[in-house]
Amino acid sequence: MDKVKKGGGIVVLFFKEKKKNGQIISKKTPSSVVEEHSKNKISSSLDETVHFMKGIFGDSNDFVIKHFEVFGQFHAAMFYFSDLTDQTVINNDILKPLMYIPNHLLQRKIVLNDLKDVLINETLYHSQAKLDDCLDRLVDFVLRGETVIAIEGIAEGIHIGTRKLEKRAVNQPETEQVIMGPREGFIENIATNLALLRYRLPTPDFCVKKMEIGRLTKSKVAICYIKGIADNKVINEVEKRLSEIDIDVIMDAGYLEQFIEDNPFSPFPQVHSTERPDKAVANLAEGRVAILVDGSPFALMVPVVFSQFYQTVEDYSTRFLMGSFVRLSRMLALVFSLIFPSLYVSFISFNPELLPTEFAVAVAGGRAGIPFPAVVEVLAMEIAMEVLREATVRLPKQVGGALSIVGVLVIGEAAVNAGLASPITVVVIALTTIGSFATPAYVAAFALRMLRFSIIVLAGIFGLYGVVIGVIFIFNHMLSLKSFGVPYMAPVSPENYQGMKDVVIRSPLWWMPKRPTFLHQENVARLREKRNKALEHNKIGNDQREEGTSGGPKRNHNSSSDDNLN
Amino acid sequence: MEDLREITTLQATTILISTIIGVGVLPLPLFAVRAGETGAPLVTLFGIGIAAIGLFIITKLGIRHPSKTIITYSEEILGKWLGKVCSIFVIIFFTILTALAAREFGTVVTTSVLIETPLDVTVIVMLVLAAISARNNINVFAYIHNFYVPIILAPVLIVVAVSLKNANILYLRPLIGSDFKEMFFGALTVAALFQGSFIMTLIIPAMKQPKKAMKASIWAILISGGLYLLLVIATVAVFGTEEIKQLFWPTLELARTTSLPGNILQRLDIVFLSVWVTAVFTTIFASYYLTIYSIKQFFRLQDHKMLSYFILPFVYILAMLPEDIFQMYEIIRYVGRIGLSITILYPLFLLILDVLKSKRRKHSESKQV
Repeated sequence: MDKVKKGGGIVVLFFKEKKKNGQIISKKTPSSVVEEHSKNKISSSLDETVHFMKGIFGDSNDFVIKHFEVFGQFHAAMFYFSDLTDQTVINNDILKPLMYIPNHLLQRKIVLNDLKDVLINETLYHSQAKLDDCLDRLVDFVLRGETVIAIEGIAEGIHIGTRKLEKRAVNQPETEQVIMGPREGFIENIATNLALLRYRLPTPDFCVKKMEIGRLTKSKVAICYIKGIADNKVINEVEKRLSEIDIDVIMDAGYLEQFIEDNPFSPFPQVHSTERPDKAVANLAEGRVAILVDGSPFALMVPVVFSQFYQTVEDYSTRFLMGSFVRLSRMLALVFSLIFPSLYVSFISFNPELLPTEFAVAVAGGRAGIPFPAVVEVLAMEIAMEVLREATVRLPKQVGGALSIVGVLVIGEAAVNAGLASPITVVVIALTTIGSFATPAYVAAFALRMLRFSIIVLAGIFGLYGVVIGVIFIFNHMLSLKSFGVPYMAPVSPENYQGMKDVVIRSPLWWMPKRPTFLHQENVARLREKRNKALEHNKIGNDQREEGTSGGPKRNHNSSSDDNLN
Repeated sequence: MEDLREITTLQATTILISTIIGVGVLPLPLFAVRAGETGAPLVTLFGIGIAAIGLFIITKLGIRHPSKTIITYSEEILGKWLGKVCSIFVIIFFTILTALAAREFGTVVTTSVLIETPLDVTVIVMLVLAAISARNNINVFAYIHNFYVPIILAPVLIVVAVSLKNANILYLRPLIGSDFKEMFFGALTVAALFQGSFIMTLIIPAMKQPKKAMKASIWAILISGGLYLLLVIATVAVFGTEEIKQLFWPTLELARTTSLPGNILQRLDIVFLSVWVTAVFTTIFASYYLTIYSIKQFFRLQDHKMLSYFILPFVYILAMLPEDIFQMYEIIRYVGRIGLSITILYPLFLLILDVLKSKRRKHSESKQV
């Protein structure tokens, strides 16, 4: 830890030890001083406390020590970081009542022994005013934006929650946009994120466990799950893996993901991250565990299965026919993005006889002036496309438009006119790229994008045989993956009847009365045991209209909680 | 390996199906027609019957010893050394079977799809794929088979369904062939195509409910046998017996004569063969896995992962031994017949001995009482 902190030696006066042995211990970073004091209590002498705090924070100019008199008679000092705290709260809710004896206390004689209770219970206008006597914890509170008050003669410090941070508003997440569905997204602040989850899950079963990871950042990490639905084994495993992490900084949820995933060498993502609270809640309700980190707008969800990466929240919030159709087209796009260029290569270079004659002639005509074999042509175009994509991602919007026009010209028209690529290659590359954009999860699309290149090479060597070998290899790898004990290709293989209803098509919600059991939940009932009346309305059909009244009251009778499928 | 005993009955069934259906499907109608002329379907049916008996014996043995494979319970039944000797034969046989399947498919690929690619390359690619996949544990083994079954069944069913418009029922008559001795040997050859079902001995110790293994066996033999029968009937009905004898892989020719409506793809046989790589892979994968798993148990090793690469060169050399396609099929027929004694007669012998032993044990127990 000495290495990571700034090396400048800070002479810290170790007053307790100084008193005992008269030694001065020097050249320590503040954090290690705090560590050494982790067992020590705050002293009742105000001077000592001020001295200690100065030793710890003295180098920082934004650290404030303010001396004042409580009720005009007790010496006290207040410690806080001026930029982390809310000045109004400090002035009005802390300093004012402390310096200015409140009316109800005017008649009382306050002795030192009662002082702390009087302050906490009767004086301070703040719900988060608490007492603590550990030095290291008090230092930590100051660092987290609280205000600590030490009073001469009292061996305890009062810490008051005065933290005030700038945070951005809850916006629609950029990475997961929907046409129909909630528009909220997580932000960087973990408290807001947890609030977003809590507001959708007002149940005591929703549990949040907190821990701190990162020696320097001390990032707050929250493990969220629904008790009674999530598998205890998974929860324990998540806690175990998280507690084993020892790193200096955690900047984002992605840092954690890399430490807790099962197979770091696999191209496939084994943790699902989302920016959407509604998605996180839906996953929690299926029995998954969500991990949130302070400072990251992403929630990590484990365990995952592959089918999750092409599902979106919209599949569920729209009608099931729409959802299923969209999902089918998305799966097609997924297949396109993986093997379309390699199929093209193998057809052109190995088995042109497979193509219908007219088309084969057209292809041959288009390729007439091209000097390279198909595989080189496709690879070159794919690489150009990747570069173009990478270039557009980080460009400012004003420049991006210009670049995409240039890119379209270069990769489209110009390459064909210059005889570098055949028009059909351009079509194939375009379809592939569009296909990879249609995959909702960026990380999963990326895995297929990487694997596409190796399959193109295989296709160039072995033709269709190579494509199939490559695909088998990828599938075998996916089948052997596990995420927190759940096979990656569940519910397809190992098979799971309930889960299958939600893989290729999105079955109507009333077809899926149980949670998919491959997550080993303790409780699988999703719909109420009482039969869902919504279905019967459909079946009654025209009779309903004739009877007139029968439909309406029935629905009204069904209270909203019964209709609520989640 | 912490979670053994996870294989469900459905998974056991699919493992059997995808293991049985392999490269043997390609020359199957030829074998059947050579033996029984127009009685080819009957020959196939007989073959399926023989194979079914073999599979039921091995399943029965497995149910009697639900936590052991044939390598371990043979030592119990036959005594340690005799059991070991027999196990060596089993291991050698399945090494050869793996090699021959890889070779046969390599030959098919190089003659019909990748004409310029050397045979070695296609064989070694297939074997490497099997070796890498065989490093997984038995549950993943089950997942892989389970996943590919639809891909294996679909192309055959499509080809059969589409080709039926060219069928001529007259080619199938008379239903009963002429030479019964020849038909019997033909049935043995067909039964030899089912030898992959020996994998059942490996699955039962990993099954959730070993008692249900028999159900899995019955379903597997019904589905894979039904598919074989369907294929033979369709091929004979389309080509007639005389033409089939001129073809090496009648099934492939059947795919070639069919075309999808709308003429999207001109030739179906190459697509068929490409998808069929999956079926061949699962078969080779299963016998490869059986081999290394048996070796692991034979030497009582902890792990089979290293073995996977270790035996790869041996399998490859064995695969390249046959000089040409004729010699290869000669060897395949020969090995298949010998194999039947290993996969059917040997387990039968074990079963009889086992039953007698347990009866005697019961007898002595009742005497003691």
